[in-house]
Amino acid sequence: MLFNSFHFLFFFVIVTTLYFLLPHNRRWLLLLLSSCYFYMAFVPVYILILGFTIVVDYFAGIFIENAAGKKRKFFLVCSLVANIGILCVFKYYNFINENFSFLLHGFGLTNPIPYLSILLPIGLSFHTFQAMSYTIEVYRGHQKTERHFGIYALYVMFYPQLVAGPIERPQNLLHQFRQQYDFDSDRVFEGLKIMIWGLFKKLVIADRLGIYVSGAYNNVPEQNGMTLLLATIFFSFQVYCDFSGYSDIAIGAAKVMGFDLMTNFRRPILAKSTGEFWQRWHISLSTWFKDYLYFPMGGSRVSVPRWYMNLMVVFLISGLWHGANWTYIIWGGINGFYLVFAIVTQKYRDRFNQFTGIVKRPRLHLFFQISITFLLITFSRIFFRSRNISDAVQVIKKIFTFKGSIFNDGTAIIIYCFFAIFFLLSVELKKEFYRGSFTLSRHKNFWVRNSYYSFLIILIILLGVFDGGQFIYFQF
Amino acid sequence: MIKTGKSTSIKNFLFKLCACVILLLTIDFAGGKMLKKFYFMQESGYDYLTTYSIERATPDILILGSSRAVNIFNTGIVETQTGLSCYNAGRYGEPVFYHYAVLQAALKRYTPKMVILSFDAGNFNKGLEAYDRIAVLLPYYENHPEIRPIIALKSRYENIKLLSKIYPYNSLLLPIITGNSRYSKTKYITQKGFIPIGKIFSGALQTYDYTKETSLDSTKIDIYRSFIKDCVAAHVQLHIVCPPYMIHAIGTDPSITEAKKIAAQYHVEFLDYSNDTAYTAHPLLFADYRHLNSTGVEVFTRSVIAKIHN
Repeated sequence: MLFNSFHFLFFFVIVTTLYFLLPHNRRWLLLLLSSCYFYMAFVPVYILILGFTIVVDYFAGIFIENAAGKKRKFFLVCSLVANIGILCVFKYYNFINENFSFLLHGFGLTNPIPYLSILLPIGLSFHTFQAMSYTIEVYRGHQKTERHFGIYALYVMFYPQLVAGPIERPQNLLHQFRQQYDFDSDRVFEGLKIMIWGLFKKLVIADRLGIYVSGAYNNVPEQNGMTLLLATIFFSFQVYCDFSGYSDIAIGAAKVMGFDLMTNFRRPILAKSTGEFWQRWHISLSTWFKDYLYFPMGGSRVSVPRWYMNLMVVFLISGLWHGANWTYIIWGGINGFYLVFAIVTQKYRDRFNQFTGIVKRPRLHLFFQISITFLLITFSRIFFRSRNISDAVQVIKKIFTFKGSIFNDGTAIIIYCFFAIFFLLSVELKKEFYRGSFTLSRHKNFWVRNSYYSFLIILIILLGVFDGGQFIYFQF
Repeated sequence: MIKTGKSTSIKNFLFKLCACVILLLTIDFAGGKMLKKFYFMQESGYDYLTTYSIERATPDILILGSSRAVNIFNTGIVETQTGLSCYNAGRYGEPVFYHYAVLQAALKRYTPKMVILSFDAGNFNKGLEAYDRIAVLLPYYENHPEIRPIIALKSRYENIKLLSKIYPYNSLLLPIITGNSRYSKTKYITQKGFIPIGKIFSGALQTYDYTKETSLDSTKIDIYRSFIKDCVAAHVQLHIVCPPYMIHAIGTDPSITEAKKIAAQYHVEFLDYSNDTAYTAHPLLFADYRHLNSTGVEVFTRSVIAKIHN
């Protein structure tokens, strides 16, 4: 069930109404059943995979808490193997097999291992990572075992964040299922407003830009450099609005019922460095990797070469997390390289800035920092968006020729795209730099406040793309 | 159990919600009315041509189809050869749903003497794009009940979306503005719906393998069948024509095969030029692999009308 569908609208209204009508001690059951229904609306049979990881991790949590010494570690490893094993089978099996075949082919051999014709369960990487964070936190002693099977299952399956995050930690979410939330009209409105802004980002911005981006990237050989450059810049905004739009709808839907989910995006397009970008983009995944991979490897408290290696490993695995394709691994590698390069060159860049005197003009300096960061991240996304490495290389080659005129399948499409980006940037810049001023969305006057959101809804109806379909991050 | 959150009355919520809904409905109603006024005030552009086709055109010969109808059937030649009035009501990129809607609207208004339907290879192939393209009919939903069943095919919840007065004009704001401008009048000049292309084909000959398995969309087939049935029932002389492609085809397109079969069931003539060597051997007659250029159009239109007359 997609958040941008009428199916979800009806589902949301019914579930939320029933949620507040039911006594508190029955609400978990409603949420669990509705989450099952939500997930089964995609491919019903994959609920069994989810069920399997829930059972494994539920018991792993109990065994870890009851055990002592090496046994604790054993149960943790069992849980991690089960979760990662499922990821490997459903997400990486064919990728590994394909590369193995390629390797054997180099030696003139054929691969006897068959390919599996399986469909990737939707949101698999998200709920698997959320499940793993539970057993790791129990093992570390930061989280008490959840003995109520239904509530534990709900922690993994809570429908707003089930298929595309935010990837919650048990400390933040589990206890909320035991709290009683009475109906609060202010909170309900607040949640609905977050949802409206999320829908706006998805339907008016992401899906609108997506039309142009798909047109260019699905037919790379036929496009010229300027078209691909524009499509790549558009894609940077598209992927941000698509994913953060989903997160906003998830956070808003949960808020309506009283739950607070973690912030997943903090205006990443205004990041001043690639390091800062990763503190603002997909925060729930970045912090997951930091807490469960980067710090356990030693983080920055190791030798300098090892520190660089830690960064590269985290980003390569992050790339692999996104998809079983070399394009994602390269994308991760490029972003890891950016961070290492930024650390290595920090001293020289500071000297250069002093030399040019740009630091004395903070606004201009900020503009350059944000623009360069945006361009670097956008460049890496060529690999993220391309179907394969050869397409990505072709896109880069063509872009750097700066030849051709921009493909224009109707001026209206391009104008809508620029309007969408302008609107987004206006809102983001206002939130970042002028937080207290021009406040329409939080205006004291009820009618002003609601006129703003009515205006957004009207723009959604007037300019939204209603046939856009899936969210990009669902495939992960 | 911990109790959190302040209790506020449902009454307060419902009051605020009603206020928001009323505000929204008011803006939607006013905005929708304004958009409708300006949409139907257009005097040029593709939307204007659609409005003319659906609401006003009453030619003896009505031509329907996609860009291959718009660019290939020269209305002037048809009128000269037949002595009947002719209008090309094709629209770029539109599939069979659009043609059927225009036919329905026409039959409600009058009975044309002849309808020529331009058929394209792959017309029945499965794909959602054809359904998305029904969107161009949304502005006519309110005043044309005869096309509502076709609009309903767009999506399951289309009738609910159409409760909004603005939704029919989704993505049409800029076309409405340009359609009411002078610029549009000079850009979109047609000869009774026909738009010639001057350029000459300059690419490599592509090979299309139609022997690969293709699944066909039963809804599109049903609409095509209804199109024929309605013409037959209204005693309209129907000719279905598939203009030539500048391609090297292996096998026959399954959509064309199916379309021919259905046409034969109703004793309707299906003229298939898709792989006619009289055209495919002459790149100078083409603008691109799908469309004939002005020279090709002249040869083709004369040939088709001569065949229909015989």
